[in-house]
Amino acid sequence: MTRNLLKHDSIADFLEILATFGELHGPVLTDVGVSAFRPLGPGIDLLLDYSRTLVPPKKYLLPPRDTVLFFATDEGYRQPAAAVPETILVGLHPCDLQGIAYLDKVFMRDRIDPLYRARRTALTLIGLSCEPDEYCFCGDLSATETHGCDLFMRRSPCEFHLRSNTPKGKAILDRLTPILAEGEPLPADSRTCDMAAAIQQASVRGETFEKSALWDEFAGRCLSCGACSLCCPTCYCFDIREYGALDGETTMRLREWDNCLFKDHGEVAGGFNFRKSRQERFHYRYQHKYLGFGPTRGIVSCVGCGRCRVVCPVGIDLLELFKESEDEKRP
Amino acid sequence: MKKPIIAIAGLTACSGCQLTLLNCEEELPEIAQRFIIDYFPLGLTERLITGPIDVAIVEGAVSTPSDLEILMKLRNSCRCLVALGTCALWGGIAAMKNQESRKDLAGTVYGSAADELKTFNPQPLHRFVKIDFAITGCPPEKGELLATLAALLRGTFPVFPRYPVCSECRSRENLCLLIERNEMCLGPLIQAGCNARCPAVGIRCEGCRGPVTEANVAAEMELFLKKGFPRDEIVSRMQRFYPEWNYEQRS
Ligand code: SF4
Ligand code: SF4
Ligand code: SF4
Ligand code: SF4
Repeated sequence: MTRNLLKHDSIADFLEILATFGELHGPVLTDVGVSAFRPLGPGIDLLLDYSRTLVPPKKYLLPPRDTVLFFATDEGYRQPAAAVPETILVGLHPCDLQGIAYLDKVFMRDRIDPLYRARRTALTLIGLSCEPDEYCFCGDLSATETHGCDLFMRRSPCEFHLRSNTPKGKAILDRLTPILAEGEPLPADSRTCDMAAAIQQASVRGETFEKSALWDEFAGRCLSCGACSLCCPTCYCFDIREYGALDGETTMRLREWDNCLFKDHGEVAGGFNFRKSRQERFHYRYQHKYLGFGPTRGIVSCVGCGRCRVVCPVGIDLLELFKESEDEKRP
Repeated sequence: MKKPIIAIAGLTACSGCQLTLLNCEEELPEIAQRFIIDYFPLGLTERLITGPIDVAIVEGAVSTPSDLEILMKLRNSCRCLVALGTCALWGGIAAMKNQESRKDLAGTVYGSAADELKTFNPQPLHRFVKIDFAITGCPPEKGELLATLAALLRGTFPVFPRYPVCSECRSRENLCLLIERNEMCLGPLIQAGCNARCPAVGIRCEGCRGPVTEANVAAEMELFLKKGFPRDEIVSRMQRFYPEWNYEQRS
């Protein structure tokens, strides 16, 4: 028996203690009715029952628009001072934790992105179990309690079962002890999802659905609005632009979210484009999400959060590709 | 650094774009110091185009013989011509009624005096001359105008994103008025750069910045029709700032 039970009515105390570890952020409902990660504080309700936020927590690691370099004629290039405040992100669903774990692979493995690393190091992740809705297809991803989070909260009718996975998590748990009760650890629940299984199989066999008629159909409808990647927890494509200042001496370099369905994504100097048509861009998106390329070859980077299915104004859903092939197999 | 010589002119328009420049109060001293402003009827008493100009920045559509004369004169004396604002780039508000008879329109406003008017359908600059760069917007964003001036100091043009308003709107975590409220938001078709100003305060995108690269006009039209908006209402909304949409265009 360990002290690991947090009663639902102790949430306020819990958040108060968490706030002593750093700036506390979590999912809230904004004034306009959007679920979003925001700073928490007195009078701001943490959403404990939410399906998904519009923008995933990647914004804490890769802000939508970020100054990554300064230049001045007299001092040359200078990186922005990485004074990142300690931030506690509470209430992350397993898909979002998995999303961050994937971004860690991209930005901190073979080539480390210093800004990403500074922000990641300052981040404490507190996971929260969830109930899938009709858009989710994470499969048993949700059952895994670790995914690199520091502390995980598994919900049961009257309490949360806390489990720490890292020294950071342990330190928090220790400080929480006075408000916790004793209990048995809950067994991880297991969740199956046919779609998640179909995706895994397709990925393993290197499926590309070359012959599907859906590509043309998607391309005809897509507005290139960008939402599907901006809202995806594992899309990390960015564009780099530089803007000089009016002084004629200083310049800054921006990094901004990009989407492979934009025309510019595959365009290089001289106007040559590697992916001229929307069809080609959809193939590319599919291949990156489900087959992976470069150092992430073989990793399915879609974590099944369902955001792209919710936010597409014309209802484009790449899962139809997998469904179509399942249908074909049926007699 | 050699000071670029610039000219700033307004044709058929409301002067709002030129005012955007005058509204850059903080930066004006710096601009005055770094550029030689040779021609700027809105801001200078002297009103002559005197010699070769590096950059001419032109607001407004072309709708009169005198508009055309100024435009030609500027084009002939400048190295770079920059279209400033939606009217100069796309026709804008002035061109909203271009599918109706100019004569009738003039008659409605000026009565019998209309016969004396020398006016034709307002057209964007590129119908008459080559333009080298454009800053869209009704009015343009201060930031894009300043970034352009800063780039001109270095002898180049800035790169602006070519995605639609939705991208900035989503990044700002706004409620989508098109999906969640079934409003006729033009965001997916319109060039970003405004940081989704209107949707951020709950107002649907009116399209003031003109078409985005590869606008999927046909798909947006289908979407609006499916949501139950009548076609003529959609068309009238869409051509408020740009009368020449190709409703069949998909990319
Ligand atoms: S290539 Fe496309 S799918 Fe892959 S990360 Fe970039 S935007 Fe996302
Ligand atoms: S591709 Fe869609 S469902 Fe998969 S992780 Fe990205 S937003 Fe979520
Ligand atoms: S959300 Fe839909 S319409 Fe927008 S870019 Fe993605 S697929 Fe295209
Ligand atoms: S509110 Fe308008 S601009 Fe914003 S995402 Fe929706 S359609 Fe696009």
